[in-house]
Amino acid sequence: MSQDVLVVAEHGQGKFDDITFEMLGAGKALAAQTGGACVVALIGGSDLASQLGAADKVVTVDGEGLENFNPESHSAALAAIVESTSPRVVMIGYTSMGMDLASALSVKADMALAASCLEVQAGDTVTAVSQLYGGKLNVKTDLGAGPCVVSMLAGSSPADAGKGDGAPATETVAAPATDGKVRFVRLIEPEAGDVDITAQDILVAIGRGIGTKDDIEVAEELAEELDAAIAASRPIVDSGWLPKNRQVGKSGVKVTPKVYIALGISGAPEHIEGMKGAATIIAINTDKNAPIFNVAHYGMVEDLFDVCEELTEELQDR
Amino acid sequence: MLGPTERIAFLLLVIVCGGLATHGFLRIARIVRLGKAAERTDGLAGRLINALIDVGLQRTIAKARPLVSLAHGFVFFGFSFYILVNVNDLIEAYVDGWTTIGAGTLAGVFNLLSDLFSVLILIGMLSLLVRRFVAKPKTLEFNSNVLLQAKAAGGGVRRDSLIVGVFILIHVGARWLGTAFHLAHNGHGDPWLPTASVVAQGFAGMSPDTLELAMHICWWLAMGLIMVFLPYFPRSKHLHLMIAPLNLALHKSTPHGELDDVIDASAPGAKTLTDLPWPSLLDSYSCIMCNRCQEVCPAHESGTPLSPAALEINKRYWLNANSSSLLAGGESPMLLDFATSSEAVWSCTTCYACVEICPVGNAPMFDLVEMRRSIVFEGNAPDDLAEVLRSLDEKGNSFGQSARRRAKWTRGLDFKIPDARKQPVEYLWFVGDFASYDPQCQEISRTVARILHAAGVDFGILYEGERSAGNDVRRTGEEGLFEALTEQNVETLAACEFERIFTTDPHTFNALKNEYGDGVTVPVEHYTTLLLRLVESEEIQLGDGSRGKATYHDPCFLGRYNGGFDAPRALIEACGTELVEMPRNREQSFCCGAGGGRIWMKDQDGITERPSDNRIREAMSLGAIDYFVVSCPKDLTMYRDAVKSTGNDGKIEVRDIVEFVADAMGLNDEPGDGAEAIPRAGDEAEAGAAPANG
Amino acid sequence: MNTVVLLKRVPDLVEDLEVDSSGTALDSEHLKLTLNEFDDHALEQALLLKEGGGGEVTAVALDSEDVDKMLFTALAKGADRALKITGTGAVNGTSELAEVFAQALGSVNYDLVLTGVQASDDIDGQLAPTVAAKLSVPCIEVITGVEAGDGSVTVHKEYAGGVLAEFEMTLPGVLGIQAAAQSPRYAPVSKVRQIQDSATLDEVAGAGGDNGKFSIVVMTPPETGEGAQMLESVEELIAVLDSKGVI
Ligand SMILES: Cc1cc2nc3c(=O)[nH]c(=O)nc-3n(C[C@H](O)[C@H](O)[C@H](O)COP(=O)(O)OP(=O)(O)OC[C@H]3O[C@@H](n4cnc5c(N)ncnc54)[C@H](O)[C@@H]3O)c2cc1C
Ligand code: SF4
Ligand code: SF4
Repeated sequence: MSQDVLVVAEHGQGKFDDITFEMLGAGKALAAQTGGACVVALIGGSDLASQLGAADKVVTVDGEGLENFNPESHSAALAAIVESTSPRVVMIGYTSMGMDLASALSVKADMALAASCLEVQAGDTVTAVSQLYGGKLNVKTDLGAGPCVVSMLAGSSPADAGKGDGAPATETVAAPATDGKVRFVRLIEPEAGDVDITAQDILVAIGRGIGTKDDIEVAEELAEELDAAIAASRPIVDSGWLPKNRQVGKSGVKVTPKVYIALGISGAPEHIEGMKGAATIIAINTDKNAPIFNVAHYGMVEDLFDVCEELTEELQDR
Repeated sequence: MLGPTERIAFLLLVIVCGGLATHGFLRIARIVRLGKAAERTDGLAGRLINALIDVGLQRTIAKARPLVSLAHGFVFFGFSFYILVNVNDLIEAYVDGWTTIGAGTLAGVFNLLSDLFSVLILIGMLSLLVRRFVAKPKTLEFNSNVLLQAKAAGGGVRRDSLIVGVFILIHVGARWLGTAFHLAHNGHGDPWLPTASVVAQGFAGMSPDTLELAMHICWWLAMGLIMVFLPYFPRSKHLHLMIAPLNLALHKSTPHGELDDVIDASAPGAKTLTDLPWPSLLDSYSCIMCNRCQEVCPAHESGTPLSPAALEINKRYWLNANSSSLLAGGESPMLLDFATSSEAVWSCTTCYACVEICPVGNAPMFDLVEMRRSIVFEGNAPDDLAEVLRSLDEKGNSFGQSARRRAKWTRGLDFKIPDARKQPVEYLWFVGDFASYDPQCQEISRTVARILHAAGVDFGILYEGERSAGNDVRRTGEEGLFEALTEQNVETLAACEFERIFTTDPHTFNALKNEYGDGVTVPVEHYTTLLLRLVESEEIQLGDGSRGKATYHDPCFLGRYNGGFDAPRALIEACGTELVEMPRNREQSFCCGAGGGRIWMKDQDGITERPSDNRIREAMSLGAIDYFVVSCPKDLTMYRDAVKSTGNDGKIEVRDIVEFVADAMGLNDEPGDGAEAIPRAGDEAEAGAAPANG
Repeated sequence: MNTVVLLKRVPDLVEDLEVDSSGTALDSEHLKLTLNEFDDHALEQALLLKEGGGGEVTAVALDSEDVDKMLFTALAKGADRALKITGTGAVNGTSELAEVFAQALGSVNYDLVLTGVQASDDIDGQLAPTVAAKLSVPCIEVITGVEAGDGSVTVHKEYAGGVLAEFEMTLPGVLGIQAAAQSPRYAPVSKVRQIQDSATLDEVAGAGGDNGKFSIVVMTPPETGEGAQMLESVEELIAVLDSKGVI
């Protein structure tokens, strides 16, 4: 076993997902603790290696059947990389793809595993803090000396720390053969047309504080800048300003986006029921006593129009 | 009067038509017997007598539509008398020389009545026809999304009404004209027959032969038509004149708030027409298709596809078309295919308004509950409802919250409410889900507690031992869950010592009072009753002072279901509040839309106006009103929301009765303020202004 | 196609979770268990497959508080068989649980194993891929659509942003279900009670052996301030959005 940290890059449609850089940043920090190198495992898409400047080394496996993610062949490829690099810690995203890789690797390579991690530390042993029980408890586990696998929550560390301009050494491992029991067929893009707000990462939700139908535009502009979809409280839908499928709450839908920005929503229990599962709730309301602030993680006692306009401008300038 | 051939012809007509009609009636009896068992014949004699009294006084019909009811009254009392007239006319036909004209005072009175009633029937019938065909009231139309059998939708009900109307006009008109011809034949009028005498003058110039012929024609039009009409009867809505009294007699006699038990536990409820209990089949024959039930139905009013009238009409039309095949052992049709849609089934708030209003004693709501029972048992409860039922099963409350937090609301009190599981209490307060978990209602619950504490009442609660009482669970058709909840509650109650139960929630009140059987044997009352008693016995002292103008909304499960109309009103007034009634009050109160599990389900797509919004508009139409007063926790949430969504925020305040009581008791006065309590609304403004002044 | 559904009971998050005095476990006195919601979807998906193309559905669970009612509920919903694994006591983490399930599956004839994509107490990874690895069969996680084929299934796996990937998987295999094609059906209590009186649960003694390769150091509630953290300016707001990785 080396003291290296192996970060498993995640990419799709020709670009890396943010989690890759988040883990690369965290992986470098961890490697500083172990005294090893921070190595990236890049399965398929070896042409993307140049974007991994922050890594100490990139190990690629490429070949037929690896262009698109495939749980079986990517697992096999990862196993081959792990075997050749023999890292102390393997970092995998706690993502759709990562879920297919982490547990399988842990069983096959007989490594300890901690899932849903916020942070990882290495000393004599590796410890990880997992966010579990719906975010109600953080569980710190000891994974022994290593080797081990940690699967990292998206957003647990900043992506910037994982970006750099270096030119890491690249190494290639041959793609192992598989049984071909899992076959990739195709990718299906979400249908254009009206949005399914339950499947969005960011929601800009408007309430009665928006005032009039025409003013919804203000929120829409912000949403566009944020790549977010518009959701609403019931009165907005009742007024016919937005279709019913945008309504969040008891008589609407339940949403669990990463970020929920509530503009001019008081926070009636019927509404809260539908959005309390959001990872981050940001509320903007002129009433400092609005109950929405009890569930929000961040609050601003401001006029929503002022905030929206300023924020939209700032974002446009970036 | 009749000649020999005519006599034979009429007899033949009686035999043929009577036979056909009898066949029709027997068929109805056989169809009704296909329904599932139901206990409705206990104390039959008493039931019949009561029904006849109700019919005789036109009680059930006089509940609504005064003008229509008056016109109906003309026709009804006229026809009741016409039984005698028809008998007389038969005798006249077969006994030579028999006539009541000029036959003494008794016959004279008979003539006078028949003369006047003929005119009243004609007036009544004409007005009803004019209403239906000229005025065309909206209430006779269905929402476009209501499932309606093709024949009924294609004007079947209108045609039926027209046929019946014209029949009555001809039958009575001919009888009346016949009398006039008779008088003309006699050559002089008769003071006992004032209107016929007037008409007779118009026939004065006719020859005796012509008049004789006219009398015969009229006799046949009056009497022959009845016979011809008889076979049509069992197919027509006019059948109600026979079935309605019977249906009223066989109406459910258990409390309104006690649903009938499931008949077959292995397949609860009704999937097909004949899964329904037999009274439901009788209902369809009894239905006069007046749409009164639809008019009061909050679901139809809000634009959902539910029409209780259409349900009855569809059953009837299906049976009219298919009774032979059904009786021949044919398959009983799926209710959801022809009677009503599943969306409609789930739109019902179980408000009981349709049952209350129906003039012929129908109970469309019971059919809907039977259908729900079947749908739920088959695992097809709507998703949002299923989620709540699951929570009720696992956690005992509809809020999906921890059972342990049920009594968390008591933490805001500066005294501890006794735990009825640990010490005997006089009053056991069954708090209910909403009053326990809903943040707005918790405030009301604390107010109730403070009032009773201040009045020195010995009361306690069950803390986390309490489960939802299951009233609405039962009305969603989840009978098994209802049983499970009752069992748990009964077990908890059995281990406690108390003399009475009171509830905050009318739904809980209804369940404990009517549906817990032997599980609850002590009196159960709503807090308004308890508070009024305490006020009357002066254990609660209410201060003087007037507290604005208010209107009061009767919750279905307190009012219509259990007759709790007076205590809340008396309490409001005792608190110095002027009470103004909304047009729909007491038995006719309009449901807020939350009952029957509706509060747990999404609004239906395409609803036009939520019942609660409709109700707030009704209150606003009263002019300047300060308060919309409720006595049900669900109402508080619903109406506070409705005030906002109708744009009346700040114009009217939704308050629970106990808030008035607390005010009048001075419980809300600033501590240490002494006698000069500042009115509540002004508190903040005054307090804010004070430092600047000082 | 015969389907096995692995059901797991997890702490009900509606309750206050309390950590016991050791600091490394949940206080069992206040613990209330409930069926993992994703497992409920897995069961629903299995029932839908059965309704669409036949086969048997077997629900499997470890003996624990209220497990009987959960298994009877599965039967009431339409599962053909319920198997209770007894005698294992509490298991330590996904890895050990997967071992127990994998051993128990030795006695069951199956083509497809379904279970929830994740559970709120997955300290050491997800059940589906762990069981699959122990059984040496293929697995795909985060499935939102399953269609039965001949000796295989065609599935939809969900990525972020609503993008779906379609895969074909040769059976036998395991799927981690994110969402069934329809919300899990409700088993009416009346029916569950009837089944309870008429059906029986099969039992098999559990065998484990894998004690997990991790140990819990401490469990703590995440640090949160009282209510919302108040922001004073749009700059601060931007910083927050930045830290959440949305801009
Ligand atoms: C059975 C039932 C089911 C329901 N289901 C739902 C549901 O599914 N979803 C739902 O949302 N509601 C639902 N409701 C309605 C719910 O009770 C509330 O009425 C509703 O959520 C209020 O919406 P709101 O917060 O937009 O409006 P309000 O409560 O009116 O709040 C408006 C807020 O905007 C603020 N504001 C005003 N102007 C500005 C400004 N310029 N800048 C910033 N802030 C401003 C105000 O301070 C206020 O807090 C339901 C109600 C019931 C009874
Ligand atoms: S009970 Fe109420 S909601 Fe239901 S059908 Fe009757 S009137 Fe309509
Ligand atoms: S059910 Fe009763 S109220 Fe409704 S249409 Fe028929 S007769 Fe009228």
